[in-house]
Amino acid sequence: MSSRVVLQSRGRALRRLRYATPRIFATLLAFLLAAVWLGPLALIVITSIKPNKEFLNGPFSLPIAPTLEPYQKVWEGLNFGALMQNSLLYATTGSALAVSLALVPAFALSRFDPPGKKYIFALLLTGLMLPQQTVLIPLYDMLRWLHLLDTRIGLIVVHGVYGMPSQIVILRGFMTTIPREIEKAAEIEGATDFQIFYKVILPLSLPGIIVGYTLNFIAIWKEFVFALVFLNSEANFPVTVGMLKLNSDRYISAFNLPSAGLVISQIPIAILFILAYRRISSGNFIGSVKG
Amino acid sequence: MSARPSDERTSFIAFARRHVFVTLFGIVAPVALFACFIGYPIGYTVYLSFFEWNGMAATKTFVGLANYVYMLGDNYFYISLINNLKWLAVSLAFPVVLGFLIAYAMRVRAVYLPTLLRTAIFFPVTMSLVAVGLMFLLILNPIFGAFDTLLRALGLGFLIREWFGDYHIAIYTLAVVGGWAFTGLPMIFYFAGIGDVPKETFDAARIEGAGHLRMMLQVALPQLRPVTAVVVMLTLFESLKAFDLIAVMTKGAPFGRTDVLGYLVYLESFWNSRFGYGATVSVAILVLSIAIAALLLGKVFKGAFDV
Repeated sequence: MSSRVVLQSRGRALRRLRYATPRIFATLLAFLLAAVWLGPLALIVITSIKPNKEFLNGPFSLPIAPTLEPYQKVWEGLNFGALMQNSLLYATTGSALAVSLALVPAFALSRFDPPGKKYIFALLLTGLMLPQQTVLIPLYDMLRWLHLLDTRIGLIVVHGVYGMPSQIVILRGFMTTIPREIEKAAEIEGATDFQIFYKVILPLSLPGIIVGYTLNFIAIWKEFVFALVFLNSEANFPVTVGMLKLNSDRYISAFNLPSAGLVISQIPIAILFILAYRRISSGNFIGSVKG
Repeated sequence: MSARPSDERTSFIAFARRHVFVTLFGIVAPVALFACFIGYPIGYTVYLSFFEWNGMAATKTFVGLANYVYMLGDNYFYISLINNLKWLAVSLAFPVVLGFLIAYAMRVRAVYLPTLLRTAIFFPVTMSLVAVGLMFLLILNPIFGAFDTLLRALGLGFLIREWFGDYHIAIYTLAVVGGWAFTGLPMIFYFAGIGDVPKETFDAARIEGAGHLRMMLQVALPQLRPVTAVVVMLTLFESLKAFDLIAVMTKGAPFGRTDVLGYLVYLESFWNSRFGYGATVSVAILVLSIAIAALLLGKVFKGAFDV
């Protein structure tokens, strides 16, 4: 009697195991993949706290006497304080400009059906997909003509305008999810388009605005080509351009300095990533791209 | 405010009169900005491609089609073009396919701890390619790099190559590094896309005895055509834009063998001061991207972008 129960339960366990086996294999594979993605990052963090003399112990040796000295050295050597300030300035103001330029267009395209809507979308797609290099020379020329070459304002304007198309797409996607009934009431009471935009749609779009702003912030923080070409003086460099110096003999010799520099450059984004992680990586914002 | 003209087609002027604010700030202003900052630069690039100009001089010399003739005979142009295509091939084969597989595996709960995997793979999307490039310069360093050390430890030392020095390999090294940083993007696009497919569709297929392979190919992918359209477009333009990694990691070395079109524009214009020729290569990029986009939109993904 009791042995039958044992047999039965063992059978059940085996069956469960059989169902779980592919999942376990898949999970092992997934861990391997995760290691390929996390491994390099972990190595860089580990390397960044090794003192010089431990460099020859090999890339996988754990730090024996961990130190923050590389951080201090690279922070001073590259003047990271100034670079960070610049990047923060470009990312905050550039994104603010992009979002504010995109708000009313997103409202117009989500709530109205103006003639020629199709062409506006075609324009948007062009702006989204355009390879930066194709407009590099004219923009350079234009900024020089406006005396905005190698100025912070010039770069902010370019970032703002080139962030606008994706912001229109994101915000439009968000605004189409707001039920129309909400503004019907306001409409009946005789509110103008502007009042509906300002009093109804804008407050309700705040979550969408936050997502759009965050994505744009990250995009500007990562941006390299525009900053490289339109800026000349080191005082204006963002992190991406300034940290190119890490690839010089002076810093790269023991790997710990460039590693520390890499970690520093990623800290603001890592913080943002943790704060906004659920919103961004769930892919919810992508609903907006599907038109 | 009167009812909105969503059913009837109105003329633009009638629309503008009724919705002054929306027309002015929602349509005219962005279109004007587009014209100034995107339309005009494109036009100016095309214009410049018929001139010789060092970028500083007040006068530009009209040379007709000379720049185009030069381009068609320029070895570096072909190297760059082929490198762009190689990059595209790697990007379609590695990040896009892998991104889809991971998204699918997470959605059908084929793995435990899906969030860990998703976070790990998505994180590099937020990194600047300058940082990614510098990171892999350290990791792929021929003497002290972690990658070669690992291969040696695993007894796979015979696989070691000069990842950046060997000109057959260098461009693929760069493209794979780019793919490492890019995989998270197709992954979340597919992750969101598969989430929108009704669960019943998958359940029905499973009851009929479909394995994962058939579920992917015959159930998921056909439903995901619009997502695939977006992802392929993104990948396409991402590989046409390939620049950052090259500027950081190889600067085109060895001997220009890792140049791509975008880098060639930069080199010719801002280093060799041949802005006219740089513009010509820009036009080539533009024509290429329009041609491929039109091909994709017209044939493969017909209707996927309807709004």
